[in-house]
Amino acid sequence: MCAFVSINGVGLNDLLERASQLSDKLHSLSTSLTNDLDSHFPPVGRVMMPRPSMCHTSSLQIPNDKDQALKVPEDELLSLARSLLLAWSDPLALLSSEASSLAHPERNTINSKTKELQDNINSLGAGLEHVVHKMGSSSDNLSSLPFYSNSLGQDKTSRLVNFHFLLSCFRRDSHKIDSFLKVLRCRAAKKRPEMC
Amino acid sequence: LLSWIPHSMCHSPPGRPRLTKCRSPEKETFTCWWEPGSTGGLPTSYHLYYRKESSVEVFECPDYHKAGNNSCYFDKRHTSIWIIYNITVVASNTLGKAYSESVEVDVMDIVQPHPPENVNVTLMQTKNSPYFLVQWRPPHDADTRSGWVTIKYEVRLKMENSGDEKDSSNWESYDAGKQLEFSIYSPQPGANYIVQVRCKLDQGLWSEWSPSAFIQLPDNMSDTQNAVMIL
Repeated sequence: MCAFVSINGVGLNDLLERASQLSDKLHSLSTSLTNDLDSHFPPVGRVMMPRPSMCHTSSLQIPNDKDQALKVPEDELLSLARSLLLAWSDPLALLSSEASSLAHPERNTINSKTKELQDNINSLGAGLEHVVHKMGSSSDNLSSLPFYSNSLGQDKTSRLVNFHFLLSCFRRDSHKIDSFLKVLRCRAAKKRPEMC
Repeated sequence: LLSWIPHSMCHSPPGRPRLTKCRSPEKETFTCWWEPGSTGGLPTSYHLYYRKESSVEVFECPDYHKAGNNSCYFDKRHTSIWIIYNITVVASNTLGKAYSESVEVDVMDIVQPHPPENVNVTLMQTKNSPYFLVQWRPPHDADTRSGWVTIKYEVRLKMENSGDEKDSSNWESYDAGKQLEFSIYSPQPGANYIVQVRCKLDQGLWSEWSPSAFIQLPDNMSDTQNAVMIL
């Protein structure tokens, strides 16, 4: 209750500043995890990797360049970021449960970073709920992006390949979330451009 | 006929070109460069073709000129992010064609800004604790106001004559965050310092280091008159 009261006292600028620090961290973690995985990845895995257009979030219509992004209303940008976060809740839980048994020499590092990713999206998700209230925007216009799989595969190579594939999808989406939240932060800080 | 044979022996279809690098300095446009390969002794032309993720349509490079020889510039209108570009260069002469290996690029992965600009160093004098102030400007093409990119800086300095210019072990680096200035406290009296700054956009790649700025500190630090500043 105390935490709730204190966060209500925080201005929108500061909330968005914290949110974009978390989204920055998310993108940096997913990039570093991708590099860890790449350090020992079987060449056959690259051939087996599904195309990025197969990511379960690729159907979400998003702005694909700056001019488009700057035209999107604030509550829509926020909804896009929240929809993406929500869409990653189940797949990140799956990655988290599989990381410790991955056929990869760096699996301990990968495991702890995956857990950290999960904690981060939870904090960011909770933080964005406060932003929604602060902005007074409606909280139910989220897009549903269902993730149907509950396993990464039968054999160790396909588990590794699917882990890598999901992570590369997440890396791209974490970059989208980060970009949208930072645009929002700058708009909120209109009178203080040094916040950007 | 005899004179025609050795002549033709020198000619061949072109060698394979090779895409060497793609770079987006501001997450709004990007450029790709290629190495041409052999011409086969004949006039050879180069064309770059690309296809975007989830589309079968093939397009030709929108601008071969803006970024110099053997390059293709994608302006804002032709640049999307979070979409894979599949890019191939084709060399052709009268005897045939050669295709480069195709390269897949997401603009998100090739963001590398130009270095910070106007780096200068000023000696600051406060009682008993002189320090120097490094200041710079963002790269001219980076939009740091809309939030589309967030820029971060790193400053490094070393004393002149403290070893080989290329020996990075003598540099001391400092994270300057989003600031456009950074203070260096307790410099060594009489020393000459070399200072450089670089930047990155969010989690992108670091820029090259800026050109060096130099400062010579007076031997007697309480005497500002001796400070010489060279840009």
